[in-house]
Amino acid sequence: MATDTLKNSSTGAAGVRRLLLDNGALTALIVLVIAMSALSGDFLTTDNLLNVGVQAAVTAILAFGATFVIVAAGIDLSVGSVAALSATVLAWSATSHGVPVFLAVVLAVATGIAAGLVNGFLIAYGKLPPFIATLAMLSVGRGLALVISGGSPIAFPDSVSHLGDTLGGWLPVPVLVMVLMGLIAAFVLGRTYIGRSMYAIGGNEEAARLSGLRVQKQKLAIYALSGLFAAVGGIVLAARLSSAQPQAANGYELDAIAAVVIGGASLAGGTGKASGTLIGALILAVLRNGLNLLNVSAFWQQVVIGVVIALAVLLDTVRRKAGAAPVVTGAGGGKGRQAGTYALAAVVTVALVAATSLLHTGSSSANPKIGLSLSTLNNPFFVQIRSGAQAEAKKLGVDLTVTDAQNDASQQANQLQNFTSSGLGAIIVNPVDSDAASNSVKTAGKAGIPVIAVDRGVNNATTATLVASDNVAGGELAAKTIAEKLGGQGRIVILQGQAGTSAARERAQGFANGLKAYPGIQVVAQQPADFDRTKGLDVMSNLLQAHPDVQGVIAANDEMALGAIKALGSKAGSSVSVVGFDGTPDGLTAVRNGTLYASVAQQPSQLGKIAVDNALKAVKDQKIPSAIKVPVKVVTKDNVAGFTG
Amino acid sequence: MSNPDELLRIEGIRKSFPGVVALDGVDFDLRRGEVHVLLGENGAGKSTLIKMLSGAYTPDAGRILAGGEEVRIHGAQDSERLGIATIYQEFNLVPDLTVAENIFLGRQPRRFGMIDRKKTEADAEVLLERVGVHVSPRARVRELGIARLQMVEIAKALSLDARVLIMDEPTAVLTSEEVEKLFAIVRQLRADGVGIVFITHHLEEIAALGDRVTVIRDGKSVGQVPAGTPEDELVRLMVGRSIEQQYPRERGETGGALLSVHGLTRDGVFHDVSFEVRAGEVVGIAGLVGAGRTEVVRAVFGADPYDKGAVKVSGTALRRSDVNAAMAAGIGLVPEDRKGQGLVLDASVEENLGLVTLRKATRAGIVDLKGQHAAAGRIAGQLGVRMAGLGQHVRTLSGGNQQKVVIGKWLLADTKVLILDEPTRGIDVGAKVEIYQLINELTAAGAAVLMISSDLPEVLGMSDRVLVMAQGRIAGELAADEATQDSVMALAVSTPGTPAAPAPATPTTTDKEAGRGH
Repeated sequence: MATDTLKNSSTGAAGVRRLLLDNGALTALIVLVIAMSALSGDFLTTDNLLNVGVQAAVTAILAFGATFVIVAAGIDLSVGSVAALSATVLAWSATSHGVPVFLAVVLAVATGIAAGLVNGFLIAYGKLPPFIATLAMLSVGRGLALVISGGSPIAFPDSVSHLGDTLGGWLPVPVLVMVLMGLIAAFVLGRTYIGRSMYAIGGNEEAARLSGLRVQKQKLAIYALSGLFAAVGGIVLAARLSSAQPQAANGYELDAIAAVVIGGASLAGGTGKASGTLIGALILAVLRNGLNLLNVSAFWQQVVIGVVIALAVLLDTVRRKAGAAPVVTGAGGGKGRQAGTYALAAVVTVALVAATSLLHTGSSSANPKIGLSLSTLNNPFFVQIRSGAQAEAKKLGVDLTVTDAQNDASQQANQLQNFTSSGLGAIIVNPVDSDAASNSVKTAGKAGIPVIAVDRGVNNATTATLVASDNVAGGELAAKTIAEKLGGQGRIVILQGQAGTSAARERAQGFANGLKAYPGIQVVAQQPADFDRTKGLDVMSNLLQAHPDVQGVIAANDEMALGAIKALGSKAGSSVSVVGFDGTPDGLTAVRNGTLYASVAQQPSQLGKIAVDNALKAVKDQKIPSAIKVPVKVVTKDNVAGFTG
Repeated sequence: MSNPDELLRIEGIRKSFPGVVALDGVDFDLRRGEVHVLLGENGAGKSTLIKMLSGAYTPDAGRILAGGEEVRIHGAQDSERLGIATIYQEFNLVPDLTVAENIFLGRQPRRFGMIDRKKTEADAEVLLERVGVHVSPRARVRELGIARLQMVEIAKALSLDARVLIMDEPTAVLTSEEVEKLFAIVRQLRADGVGIVFITHHLEEIAALGDRVTVIRDGKSVGQVPAGTPEDELVRLMVGRSIEQQYPRERGETGGALLSVHGLTRDGVFHDVSFEVRAGEVVGIAGLVGAGRTEVVRAVFGADPYDKGAVKVSGTALRRSDVNAAMAAGIGLVPEDRKGQGLVLDASVEENLGLVTLRKATRAGIVDLKGQHAAAGRIAGQLGVRMAGLGQHVRTLSGGNQQKVVIGKWLLADTKVLILDEPTRGIDVGAKVEIYQLINELTAAGAAVLMISSDLPEVLGMSDRVLVMAQGRIAGELAADEATQDSVMALAVSTPGTPAAPAPATPTTTDKEAGRGH
């Protein structure tokens, strides 16, 4: 039966159809491209397609490495961390320690290989499950990147940064690197001893061992290869941003694994191809790019991406099932059902994308178009910026597209690139990282699009203006507030923001500056709680075990302050004074209730409003000041009534 | 014909799998209150037949009647509704649940939506009483021995109000005492009116327990006789062909010792195992399941470690537990578990054939795929592997062709000493003979073959010498002309070496229970 189907479909015009039926991922990609082209006029342009390539590059390179591991029935969760670590090692050795760039690159690649070897050793000889071994490396790699960099991004050497540029002004180097690494991966998988071993080990490890394959040594090499690819991915990522970020590529391992599986590999091992993985990575990139262009709400984007991933893999599973059981279902019935599934998948994709885009696209009239790229929407402060911006945009008749970079500098670079290529009138950026945004902002500048920075500045690039409240000044105010509340004497703890972000650094610096004037205040502990309420609760609970007698808490944002207040329970506002930062609605409520002594209030909705005002002025070529400071105020119970955030 | 006592009737059932016709016209019937024995060689189709009744397979042709009405059994639910319960050789019990929970798995009595533990346990108690086993309903299944597990399975079957109970070689794993207990329970069930389909390889059990016997051979029912039929007659029905034709061993000149094993010992598993295999010779290893045969050959091949002793090929000692050293010396192993250890099922015929020679075909890390393809094509042709092409996944090949692929990968590597562990298990008769021919060709070319088999006629028919293992030791060696089923069995159940350690639960069986895991 299997032979029959092979013979039938390999003749004549059925060739194309067979190619599509044999490769569910390719079909999904084509469906997606057609859907995006139909829905957005900006999608099918050379510029934008190259953008998609650039945006797929890092994921694809990491995914090629993950393909080796997954074909061999393993899993590698550490590729994102290892990528960040390798890039950090490169920048640290070259920029901070003057190691020749060539040597630094070798060092970075060696770091990736070493991390892979450790994974492989733990798995092959330590008999650790791959999930656990690489999960451990995920944490170790990220931690080492933070240790080496001290939590701050390090500028990338210029010569290596060219890897993020374009050749001849149009061909992006990341795409070239992706293609090169893809060819290497395909060659390794198809032609080399280690590649063929991956299939045998993944298909049946015991049979491979009893056929004389040195399974353990091969595993060592397989994970080392994955580490090597991760290092290359990390270097390309950092080159695009001209900056090595310790927090870069966070969560990319899951994208890489998704790309491999969408590409037709089985997590059970034994199957998978480099071409499939490339298609998988392209599907993810097309999706993100298209959803940006279509101005789909940042929240809905995540829903759509999840649904499309599931659909793409479903398509492939259905195809396989139909292929594997021809005896039972009969070839005709299987094909019919298959075709039905494809049609259904296509309809669902188009409907989903169209519905979400229609829901959120304003009237596509001749209104001025402005894009706003926020660092995250996972935090009320930035949601407030968005609300302020949206309200102002509505008032002024501006089409405002908002994207969420999810605290990932390279995702933000992608979004800015998409803004640039869809020809907006102006771009407002709230950088994930001030250094990392510079390349994208320069590109927008070259295209003649004015860029307004909000909340955080952009280094090494010209912006029309910076709309911000001063984090350092705010930090000083917070320190002063708590010190005076405690009468200049007391023991306090500081909850820091997410290591590696500029807000965390600047506020911490402000706290330190402010406390210099109060030698009687003793800081008994400073710990990061990542701007997160739950982590604030956990970290504060832990600190209370060690320091039950603290009298004050400074938190680098209100979320952490609210977490700390939960941990303090009835002590909050009575024996312990907590000072937060941001003045979010929840924070102000806590001030009103007396549990939060004070918050250094920025006025996020004001930030958003003023940014849109100035962006519109920039579109109209009106003159705007080069920096706009939105005042910061300490809000206590006495003056909270006047604040609404 | 509607006999009110008739529970089941099967007429002209056919079932084929890709490459094999498993059943080809089987008739069978079962009455209330009888034990109907199904008898047949390995691969005759017994397992396929009972899987039709339990809903695991559906027949290609033929009818199944229950209580005089034609039924279609499409799954476990259908068979449960018809009151058919099956006890397989591998028990379907969850080790970490209690006995009571296992008996009522998925059907626990409930109160207010919660599982009524008390009622579950009380009901289980009644059922356990009925099968006459003293075990607490609250005991964890993991803690029970095999005999009790079987009783729990029977209790579970009874809880379903089974009118038809199918037992697939229930005595294979029991001691003689436990077998007696089981028989008592089966007789009790028979008296209660349950119809029992009983599969066994032990002829003496037929007279002790059975009422009627249906003999199946090569997928056909070849006769239905009363249980009192003499054993000779049963064997004739079961085998139905002369053994000489089936085992075409051609003995040639033997040369010097290729493989010699001295005092091989792994504590608690096998002890002081010594033997030689000469060029051009087939040495069979017979013995009961659990006698340590597979463990010994795996140690010889380097797949598992050993504590003492030495393995030499052509006089050169091999490093212990090093598969690559054994391979370099020219040893190849065709493992017992073909699918689990011999093949990469979702890889192609070509890839599987090239597995052993992969390293040799590699220059500077790059595999000579063309050479591999040519070699695979040549050997597949030589072995007569029936396939759609070298790209076909081995999963879809028949058992016999899969085995040819496993052997083929060793032939490509110029193996001098080939170890075959149960080489024909689950393979149809035609393919068996082809594999025997291969063995002949190998030995004619000067290779040595070491063959483990639980199929006694096969060991006797194909070996030049027979080693018999019992309790981890070589119990004796028989030349081809002095080896008979009786002499081999006598050694297999003996207690060789120091009689200090009593045998742990020796099965009182011949070794024909090779069908386990079918």
